[in-house]
Amino acid sequence: MSAGRFLAWVVLASIGPAIAALTTSALAQSLIAQATFSAMFALGVGLLLRQNGMVSFGHAAFFGLPGYMLGALLPLNLLPVEVMICATVVLIGILAFIIGLVIVRAHGIAFGMLTLAVGQAVYEAATRLRGLTGGNDGLSLRLPKHLFGLSLKTLQQPAGMLTVSWLVMVAMLAIVSVFAASRFGILTEAIRDNEERARFLGYRTLLPRAAVLGLSAAVTAVGGVMFALYNAFISPDNVHWTASGSALIMAILGGSGAPWGPVAGAFVYFFLKESLDSFTTHWLSIIGAALIIITVVFPAGLAGLVPWAIALRQREAHIARA
Amino acid sequence: MPALEVKNVSKSYGGFTALNGVNLTVATGEIRALIGPNGAGKSTLIDVISGRADNWTGEVRLFDRDISRLAASRRRLIGVSRSFQRTSIFPNLTVRCQLRLAAERVGDRDGDSILEEFGLAALADRNGGAIAYGDQRRLDLALALVGRPPLLLLDEPAAGLSLEESKHLAAHLRTLAQRWNVTVLLVEHDMEVVFSIADQITVLQLGTVLAQGVADDIRRNRSVVEAYLGSMA
Repeated sequence: MSAGRFLAWVVLASIGPAIAALTTSALAQSLIAQATFSAMFALGVGLLLRQNGMVSFGHAAFFGLPGYMLGALLPLNLLPVEVMICATVVLIGILAFIIGLVIVRAHGIAFGMLTLAVGQAVYEAATRLRGLTGGNDGLSLRLPKHLFGLSLKTLQQPAGMLTVSWLVMVAMLAIVSVFAASRFGILTEAIRDNEERARFLGYRTLLPRAAVLGLSAAVTAVGGVMFALYNAFISPDNVHWTASGSALIMAILGGSGAPWGPVAGAFVYFFLKESLDSFTTHWLSIIGAALIIITVVFPAGLAGLVPWAIALRQREAHIARA
Repeated sequence: MPALEVKNVSKSYGGFTALNGVNLTVATGEIRALIGPNGAGKSTLIDVISGRADNWTGEVRLFDRDISRLAASRRRLIGVSRSFQRTSIFPNLTVRCQLRLAAERVGDRDGDSILEEFGLAALADRNGGAIAYGDQRRLDLALALVGRPPLLLLDEPAAGLSLEESKHLAAHLRTLAQRWNVTVLLVEHDMEVVFSIADQITVLQLGTVLAQGVADDIRRNRSVVEAYLGSMA
């Protein structure tokens, strides 16, 4: 990694803690912290879109399940809480991989419908298994006083959670970026573009596609864990398909061409929503209109603006030289 | 030992019989052309040999090893490679990147040398989708030839190329096949390409072998002329 790139990562990681330290508004801190949860959700959705070319309408299941799993497992005191939290993320990744071995065989809208079916199955379970999930009332999490060396109070205060969640989000973005640039990441891109050719180069295509779904679900699950720790509560709304739809809108707004696109899209979506919500109850219509404009004018989303601007600048420089 | 043996292969699509008990033997290092009218079963036979087709009967042997039930990816690893009628590359990966991807899988440590071999070095850092059609065809062929597979199946490699490009391709294929000892089975409609590079020609019609032999025999074969060649003979 070049020194410039390393510095960029350090600067990016510092932004969240700096905001937490410099902002006095607990509301702003809380909003940004919640935006980071959504950013990790969208990062997972965007990873699937970028590496597999697949649209998921059921990722909310992977976002909400950690909360339900922790709610069910923590009272049992089977393992240290930190181990259970990490195991939850890993288990969701493995679960998604296994589901993926079946559903990634389908393409296009068929895959989308299968993810919707999986997501809605989780939603139905969350609403009907009242004894385990609390049904429509949701489930409160009984968390210990200390987690990962931090007091629960710190994690549940806006400034504390903003700092922690921002750093976790940057770590997830780094993981996704390293994955995308790796040989395996390039292979999944190749499979996305031309699965048949990849097969005739000797590659088995099912496992890489399922692995991307697994990693994408695990990244989303990390966002879900942060959400659950901050709110100490989870409800069926968090696993509903509309939550998946919102994450998909964030990923499209930001663009899946670069790993950071969905993260940027999540922040734009979140702050657009919060700003518009105070003016009108029809904020979703405005976001819908913005989505249509972006899809038509900038189909590559915010992530596509950077290469577009660079190309424009190079063309201008070329014209100036000529 | 022949490089490829196709024994009694039949394949139907619904009520249409694409291949009906086809037998074919191709010697090691030979360039064999498959010709015939549209719907004769040429591409289907390539699909059967490469592992792309399913629900067929018969047997395919590579150097006396039965590969009939192997998946396409496995066949590539033991030496059956192919190109497609329509250019099949990775549009969003650089030329170098996709050749490296191909080389890594077959354990070819000298993946970049194929760039020079196919005159793609100057395009190495451009995306596959951003290069000219003729260059894409060469890239497609280069992808199929990475690792010097013992058996290369080509489905209309000259499709869409200019006369000059087709001639160059034919000459290049001939040289490479000899130098790398690659056995080639190609489907081609351009008879100039076929007659200039094929050691043997097999003519298919309605899923059966109509004739087989060297170029001069095929040119003189009355049933082949009537069924397919016409004035091209």
